[in-house]
Amino acid sequence: MKLMLGLVLGMLFGAALQLSGASSHTKIIQALRLKDLTIIKLILAAIGVGLIGVHLLDLLGLAHMKVKDLFLPGMAVAGLIFGVGFAVTGYCPGTALAAAAEGKVDAWFAVLGGLCGALVFAIMFPDLEAFLFSVGRYGPVTIHHSLGMQGIILAVPLGGLFLWLAAKLPGTGGG
Amino acid sequence: MESQSHVNPIFPWWAGGLAIGIVLIVAVALVQPIGVSTQYVVLDGVLLHQVLPSFVEQTPYLEETTEGWTLATYEFFFALGIPIGAFLSALATNRFSTRVVPREWARRFGMMSGRRLVWSFIGGFILLFGARFGGGCTSGHMISGVSQLAVSSLVFSSTLFGSAIVTARWLYGDWGGRR
Repeated sequence: MKLMLGLVLGMLFGAALQLSGASSHTKIIQALRLKDLTIIKLILAAIGVGLIGVHLLDLLGLAHMKVKDLFLPGMAVAGLIFGVGFAVTGYCPGTALAAAAEGKVDAWFAVLGGLCGALVFAIMFPDLEAFLFSVGRYGPVTIHHSLGMQGIILAVPLGGLFLWLAAKLPGTGGG
Repeated sequence: MESQSHVNPIFPWWAGGLAIGIVLIVAVALVQPIGVSTQYVVLDGVLLHQVLPSFVEQTPYLEETTEGWTLATYEFFFALGIPIGAFLSALATNRFSTRVVPREWARRFGMMSGRRLVWSFIGGFILLFGARFGGGCTSGHMISGVSQLAVSSLVFSSTLFGSAIVTARWLYGDWGGRR
């Protein structure tokens, strides 16, 4: 039952990525080159909806939150590395799976490269662990908890801001 | 090369954003936030466990990530659903097409297939190395994490976009040196 739920949610996610152009190399690269911001608008809108919905659930005690640990400077370095890979391949781990399924051969190679990169990370992990976890480890920090307030109080204005930005940014051919 | 009709999205940005946001909300209500990149490690672990069990059992990260060397988990099925959903919706909207070299890449680096495939592999390698380093990817950190107001995800997403934009603009010759 839970497996089927995972499969159905994954299928809906994959369909949403495909239908909105997020699995298109062209759309991703044009967004990163700041030529066509459609994908940026899409991500801002998804986060805006997510922020409000997730914190509404949390307020009602219905959310299954899972916040990742903060470690600095490791997390910043990880983002830098990920960004380089993102620009070079033009896919992210999820959209590579979607693009591969649409017949994009280069996405198959991104997935293969990803499997190798993940494996090399797994093998190097005992050595990297010292760098990752010895300094600046703060645990699963969230903005609202560190300010001692309910998430919804921040999530509604911030979610609104994300949705407003998504609407205001220029899309295709706009900039 | 992709023809324009394969690039043009069916959903406008707001419909796609709403759909992804709703998937996240349903996932958080029923199970947990969404994520993909861990499943690359799980697939590595399960496949290698078939051929080199002694090596895999000595790699603690694989052992910890893969629970019981099985792919029959909610998380793996979510990742498995992505290509199925993408395939079906591409077919249904008549946008399934096979190509090796994407348009933007061809315009800058030419139509050589080998070159594109090698660089896509290298990019994918760096991508998943970074994702595992940070403990998440675009879905797990950016969409799920920022929606939960997680500080780690805000840091990861900020440096990710910064470095991706700089790399893409440099790679695609937006700063002089255009060929």
